[in-house]
Amino acid sequence: MNFLSKITPRIVAKSPWLYRINAGSCNGCDVELATTACIPRYDVERLGCQYCGSPKHADIVLITGPLTARVKDKMLRLYDEIPDPKVTVAVGVCPISGGVFRESYAIEGPIDRYLPVDVNVPGCPPRPQAIIEGIAQAIAIWRARIGEAA
Amino acid sequence: MTDTFSLLFAVLIFPGGLFVIALGLALKGVERRAIARLQRRIGPPLAQPVFDMIKLMQKRTLIPDTANALVFLAAPLLAVASMAVAAALIPVPGLYAPDPRLGDLIVLFYLITVPAVALMLAGSSSGSPFGAIGFSREMAIMLAYEGPILLAITAVALHAGAEMGQPIALSLSEIVAWQRAHGAFLLDPWMWPAFVTYLTFIPANLGIVPFDIPEAESEILEGPLVEYSGPPLGLMKLASAMKAVVVLGLGVALFFPAGPEGLAGLVLFALKCLGLVLAVAVLKAAVGRMRIDQAVVFYLKWPEALGLCGLALAIWHA
Repeated sequence: MNFLSKITPRIVAKSPWLYRINAGSCNGCDVELATTACIPRYDVERLGCQYCGSPKHADIVLITGPLTARVKDKMLRLYDEIPDPKVTVAVGVCPISGGVFRESYAIEGPIDRYLPVDVNVPGCPPRPQAIIEGIAQAIAIWRARIGEAA
Repeated sequence: MTDTFSLLFAVLIFPGGLFVIALGLALKGVERRAIARLQRRIGPPLAQPVFDMIKLMQKRTLIPDTANALVFLAAPLLAVASMAVAAALIPVPGLYAPDPRLGDLIVLFYLITVPAVALMLAGSSSGSPFGAIGFSREMAIMLAYEGPILLAITAVALHAGAEMGQPIALSLSEIVAWQRAHGAFLLDPWMWPAFVTYLTFIPANLGIVPFDIPEAESEILEGPLVEYSGPPLGLMKLASAMKAVVVLGLGVALFFPAGPEGLAGLVLFALKCLGLVLAVAVLKAAVGRMRIDQAVVFYLKWPEALGLCGLALAIWHA
């Protein structure tokens, strides 16, 4: 049993499924995420990653955007639908500081007021390499979290 | 007592259950890797589907409030169980011939449709609009591809029956034994229309582009699977991996079961499945998704016509 609890987090960490939430982003970061996911040069499937359409399939959630007032409730609901253990990655400067939209009347962010952010990938938008590094860090955090749960 | 044991062994260990799960996940891994290579990526490790499966078994199971919990949780079990039994009906040429008491070609044909029905149950019981759309699409495409596949299987059964001096041969192990003695149907031009019909059936039944319309990730978020999480989702993915082996294995048994005896036969069987999977991977990497109406019209036109052709040839030739 001890052996199993040691070996499972290692195996499980090889299969992180990604889910994207657009919390009112300008789409810049989303385009970078799509680039990271879709074009052959940045092959995240090497890490076992797979983008999934349903939050219920997800392990690592990538949030973009400054959290606008309109999207806040929906985003929090989506976040709750992701089964534990999960890891949150905030992509771009917007989720953390509001970026160019800071102090707007329409912004409810920063996001870490409402949910725990584990990794932040700064940039406006961040480069795909930075996003991949963020995902790699998120995988390490996720592995530790599975180890705690087991 | 030993009889019951051997039947259970066939369903749970070889070639049903464990064996079909292992081969199915391996084929899935090769397919993902092959697609990555075709797109000039490195791709995931070959064991990626196994990692995914272990991961899903560790996750929490969520059941939506709007779902019918019983049907929602029973559907994945139904799919996996039906595929384990169906795999026990597939002969592994040279190594395993299914026990006639387990059933014949007709039983197998019904069992192959069960995962599609389970998918429909899953979609309709999940209470999600995406699930409902997936359900209606799965139903439409299933009604379209069932006709051609039935025609192809009937053509083979009639042809084999005529060669063996029976009205119709419904025992898959007899069909395999005859082909191993007298030459594969793949080499017989009379059977080519039926073979091509069978090939067109594979992508629709396995949910592969361009016919993955019921589970289209980019439009309806995997349709019937959208509300699943954790172990039930894993079972659904497992059932689809097992279905790949059953459907490809049936193709091998019906059209080209030639090969050596014993374990070498098993290896050759796996290699034949692998060849079909690589063909499927090329298709998957090369084309986009059809609309549901296009797919239904396609199946009712070309494979249906080819299937009728194949059946007519089989009857005429007999």
